[in-house]
Amino acid sequence: MTNLFLPLLIFGPLLAGCLVVLVPQRVRFFKEVLVLAVTVADLALCLRLFPEEMTLFYPWGSYGIDFSLRLYRFSAFILAAAGGFAFLIALYSCVFMFAKEKGRLFFALFLFSLSLVNGAVLSDNLIVLLFFWEGLLLTVFGLIAIGGKTAFKTAVKALVIVGVADLCMMIGIALVGHLSGTFAISKIQLSLGGLGSLAFVLMMIGAISKAGSMPFHTWIPDASIDAPLPFMAFLPAALEKLLGIYLLARICLDLFKLVPESGLSLALMIIGSVTILLAVMMALIQKNYKRLLSYHAISQVGYMILGIGTAVPIGIVGGLFHMINHAMYKSCLFLTSGAVERQSGTTDLERLGGLAGKMPVTFLCFFIAAAAISGVPPFNGFFSKELIYDGALERGLVFYLAAILGSFLTAASFLKLGHAAYLGPKSEATQKAKEAPVFMLIPMIVIAAGCVYFGLQRSFPIGQLVQPAIENHLEGQDFSFLLPNKNLVAVTAIMLLMALVNHILGAKMKGSGLKAVDYIHDAPVLSGIYEKAERRCFDPYEWGRAFMKGLSFLLWRLDRGIDWVYNAGLPGCAQALSNTLSRWHSGSYVTYLGWSLGGLLVLVIFLMSTRSF
Amino acid sequence: MLSLLILIPLACLLLISFLPLKGKRVAFAVVMALSFFQIYAVFSPTIMANRLLPGLASAFNFTLAVDSLSRIMLLCIGIVIFIALLAAGPFVKEEDKRFYFSGLMILELMGLNGVVMVRDIFSMYVFWEVAAAASFVLIALEKKRDPLEGAFKYMIFSSVATVFVLSAIAIILLISGSTSFTAIRVALLVTPHSNLIILAVGVFLAGLFMKAGVMPFHGYLPDAYASAPAPVSILLAGVVTKTLGVYTAMRIVIDIFGFSASLKSILLCIGLISAIFGALAAMGQKDFKRLLAYSSISQVGYIFLGFGCGTPLGIAAAIFHIFNHTVFKSLLFVNAAAVEDRLGTLDMGRMSGLASRMPITGTTSVLASLSLSGVPPLAGFWSKLFIILALWQSGLYGVAVTAVLASLLTLAYMLLLQRRVFFGTPEKDLSGVVEAGFNLTLPAVILAILIVGVGLLFPYIVHTVIFPVVSF
Repeated sequence: MTNLFLPLLIFGPLLAGCLVVLVPQRVRFFKEVLVLAVTVADLALCLRLFPEEMTLFYPWGSYGIDFSLRLYRFSAFILAAAGGFAFLIALYSCVFMFAKEKGRLFFALFLFSLSLVNGAVLSDNLIVLLFFWEGLLLTVFGLIAIGGKTAFKTAVKALVIVGVADLCMMIGIALVGHLSGTFAISKIQLSLGGLGSLAFVLMMIGAISKAGSMPFHTWIPDASIDAPLPFMAFLPAALEKLLGIYLLARICLDLFKLVPESGLSLALMIIGSVTILLAVMMALIQKNYKRLLSYHAISQVGYMILGIGTAVPIGIVGGLFHMINHAMYKSCLFLTSGAVERQSGTTDLERLGGLAGKMPVTFLCFFIAAAAISGVPPFNGFFSKELIYDGALERGLVFYLAAILGSFLTAASFLKLGHAAYLGPKSEATQKAKEAPVFMLIPMIVIAAGCVYFGLQRSFPIGQLVQPAIENHLEGQDFSFLLPNKNLVAVTAIMLLMALVNHILGAKMKGSGLKAVDYIHDAPVLSGIYEKAERRCFDPYEWGRAFMKGLSFLLWRLDRGIDWVYNAGLPGCAQALSNTLSRWHSGSYVTYLGWSLGGLLVLVIFLMSTRSF
Repeated sequence: MLSLLILIPLACLLLISFLPLKGKRVAFAVVMALSFFQIYAVFSPTIMANRLLPGLASAFNFTLAVDSLSRIMLLCIGIVIFIALLAAGPFVKEEDKRFYFSGLMILELMGLNGVVMVRDIFSMYVFWEVAAAASFVLIALEKKRDPLEGAFKYMIFSSVATVFVLSAIAIILLISGSTSFTAIRVALLVTPHSNLIILAVGVFLAGLFMKAGVMPFHGYLPDAYASAPAPVSILLAGVVTKTLGVYTAMRIVIDIFGFSASLKSILLCIGLISAIFGALAAMGQKDFKRLLAYSSISQVGYIFLGFGCGTPLGIAAAIFHIFNHTVFKSLLFVNAAAVEDRLGTLDMGRMSGLASRMPITGTTSVLASLSLSGVPPLAGFWSKLFIILALWQSGLYGVAVTAVLASLLTLAYMLLLQRRVFFGTPEKDLSGVVEAGFNLTLPAVILAILIVGVGLLFPYIVHTVIFPVVSF
C-alpha cells in the first residue's frame, strides 16, 4: 500500500466537491451519486488502510513548514470514524429537502469538510494542521449560511467565535514552534512550565472550542435552528468532536505531558465540569427538539474534557471512548430530529406528540440513542461514563459529583424530550405523519445498532480503537474487559431511577411530559439566571458585538468631527473674516486715505528703525 | 528708435484730432493699428536696438532704454490696448464717444510706454501723470453716478500718491543733483544714510504702493474697477495699475535703492498681507467686477512676494506673474463685460447657469480661473510655482507655506465665482440670453489661447524669455 493514498484521502473529496459545483443542475441525481460514491470510497480506503502505519513527507517551505502526513492507529481510527459518519449522513442527505440551489452547495461543502477533516487528522506538521483546521471555518460558515434568511447572522457568529478560538490556536502553534524549534508534531516533546503552559493553554482553547465547549459554544444552539439539519448531524455532532478531542488528546499526551498534579489538569477538569453542568441546565428548559440536542452536544463535550483532563489512564480512555460514543448517539439523535421535522413539519416540542405510533423505527432509534446518552446500561454511553466517573473520582470527589449530577439532568431532559415528542397525545402536526423514507432510516438504524454493539462488545472499541491509539500512556493497563466499579454502578443506577421517578411525578403534577422539569426553571435563583441566559446576557459574542457597536459609534463621531472642521469650521472662519473685511470697506474714501496714511507712517517708522533702506 | 513708440502715437493723436470728420470714423482703427505696431515693435530687433533716429528726426531723441522687464511691459501694454479696444465696441457706440475714447486711449498708451522706457526719474513722473490723467477721464467717460464716484476716488488717491512721489523726488534731487537713475543710485551709495533719505524712500514707496493698489493702500481700487465702463476696467486692471505701480516700484528698487533687508521685508510683508486679505475680501463679494478687483489686489500681493525675495528667480517669477496676471485678469474682465452686455447687471445673486447660454464666455472664464488659481498646466501655475520656489529658496519657509494657503483661498473664491455665475441651472429670467457678440468673444478666445499656449509651451518660454530677464 503506497503512502500516496494519504493525499488521495484529502484531495479526492476536494475534487469531488469541485465537480459537484461545476456540473450543471440538469444532470439529475449526479451530485447524490457522486457524494455517495466518494464517501463509500473514502470509507473503504480508510478501513483498508486501518492497520497500517505510513508517513508521507514533502519538504515545502522554509521555517519548518513541510507537507507531512502520518497515518498511525490514532489517526486511522479518527479517519475511519469520520468516513463512516460521512457516508451515513450523505445517505441521509440524499432525501433531505434542500431549498433550490442549496443542495448543490451543501454537498460540495460537505465534501470539502470531509477533505479538510481528513487533512487535519492526517497532518504531522502543525502548520499544515492549522491550514486544514482553519479551512473548516469556511465550510462551517457556508453550510450554516445556506440554511435561510436568518442563517447568515448565525453563520457570521459561528465564524467569529470559532475564528477567535482558532486565532488563539495559531498563536499557540507559533509558540510551540518557537519553543521546540520544529513544527513536526511527532517530534515535539515540551514540558509544561512558563511559556510552555501558555502555549498549552492557547492550543487547548483551540481544540476544545472546535469541539464545542464553553465559552465558545454559543453559536451551536443558534446554528441548530438556522442551518440545514444534516450539517448539525455531520459537523458539530460528529466530526468536530472527533477532531477537537483528537487534538486535545495529542496535546495532553504527545506534545506536552499532562501530569495529574499539575494546575493545568485541574483547569481542564474544571472547564469540563462547568461545561457539563451549565450546558445541561440550559438544555433542560429548551422547548425545541434541535436546540435541546445542541445543548446536550455541548454538555457531553464536558465529559470528554473531564476525562482527558484527569490525566490518569482510566480517565483518558474513558474520554476517548466517550468521544466516539457521543459522535454516534448524538448524530443519531440529530438524524431522528431531522426525520421528525420532515414528517411533521416542526420541531417545536409544544406542537409534537404521539409520534411513537406513527414513526416506530425512528422512535426505536431515538430510544436507544437517548438511553445511551443518559448512561443506561448496557449501551455504550454507560461504559464510557463509568470509566470517566472512575477517573474523576480518583482526582476529586467534587468532579465526580458534578459528572453524576450532569447525568441526572441529562436523563431528565431526555425523558422530557421523548415524552413530549413521541409519547402522549397526538397533536395536529403529527396527525398525518408517516414513517421517514428508507434512506433516512438506514443511517439511524446503523448507528443505533452501533451503539448497542459498542456497549455489549466494548472490548472491540476500547481494545482495538482507543487503546492502541494511546498505547504509550496506558502504563500497561488494559480496560477492555474491565468491569466497572460496583459502587459506582450502584450510584449510577440509583441516579437513573431517581431521574425516572422525578419525571413521572413532574409529569403528573404539571399535566404533560414537557413541563416535568419546569420546577427547575421556576426555582427562585435559577429562574433569574435562566431568564438572563435566554436574553443572551451571558453570550461573549453578544458582549463583543455591543463593544463593537460602541467603538463604531465613537469612530463615527470622530469622523463627523473631522468633517465638521472641513465643512463648517474652516469655511465659517473664512466667511467671518470676509464679512469683517466687507464691513471695514465702507466706501468712504476718507477712511481709505486714512489707511494709506497709516500705512505710510508704519513704513517710514520701520525704515527709520532699521537705520537703512 | 524707441522713441517711435511714443512719437507715432502722438502723431496719430494729432492727426485724428486735427482731421475731425475723417478722424471720427477711423478712430478705432487707428488705435487698433497702433496696438499691432506695439506688439510688432516688441519683437522687432531694429526698434528695440535703440538706434538713434536719422537726420531730421534726431531732434526727438530721448534717453530711452529697454531691458527685458520693459519689453515684457510693452508687450502687456500692447495686448491690453488691443483687447480693450475690441471690447469697447458694444459699450462705446456713438461716434463722438468713440472719438474721445480713442484719443484718450492713445494718450494712455503714450504715457504707459513712456513710463516703462525712460531712465530718469523726472521724465518718469511726467509720463506717470499723463497716464494717470488719461485714466481718470476714461473712467468718467460715461458721466453716470457710479463711474464719477469711482473716478473721483481714484483721482484723490492718485493725487495723494503724486504728492508723495513728488516730495520724495524733490528730496532725492537735493542729494543727487541729477535725475537719471544711475546718477541717483551712485549718489545714494555715497551719501551716508540720513533720516531724510530714509523718509524720502518711505514716502516714495508709499506713493508707489498706492498706485499699485496693495493693502493697506488699496481703498480706491475696487470702486474704480467696478464702476468704470467695461473696456476701461479691462485697461485699468490689465495694465495701468501694473505699470504705474508695480513696474515703477520694481524699477526704483532695482535701479535706485537696491535690495536691502528692510526693503525686502517691507515688500514681503505688504505682499503677504495683500495676498491673504485680498483673497478673503474677494470671497464675500456679490458684484462680479468687485470680486475681480479684490482678486487683483491679491495677485499684486503675490507679485510683490516674488519680487521681495530679491533673488533672480524671484524677480523673474514676479515679472512672469505680471504678464500672466495681465492676460488672465483681462480675460476675466472681458468675460465680465460680456455678461454685463447681455444681462445688464453684474449682481452675482441674479446670475446662474450662464455657461449653457454663453459657452465661449463660460469656457474662457474657467480657463482664466484655473490659471489664476495656479492649476497646472496653465500659465498661472508656473509663475506661482516659481514665486513659491523663490520664497522657499530664500529660506522664507513660513511665508512660502502661507502663500500656498492663500492659493487655496484664491481657488476658493474663483470657484465661488464660477459656481455663482456660470455653473448650475440657468435662472428663469435669463432665458433670453445668448452668447456675446464677436467683439467680446474674440478677445476672450485670443487670451485663452495665450493662457493655454504659454502654459503648455512653458519650457520653451522659460529658456527664451524668463532666464534672459534674470540676467540683469
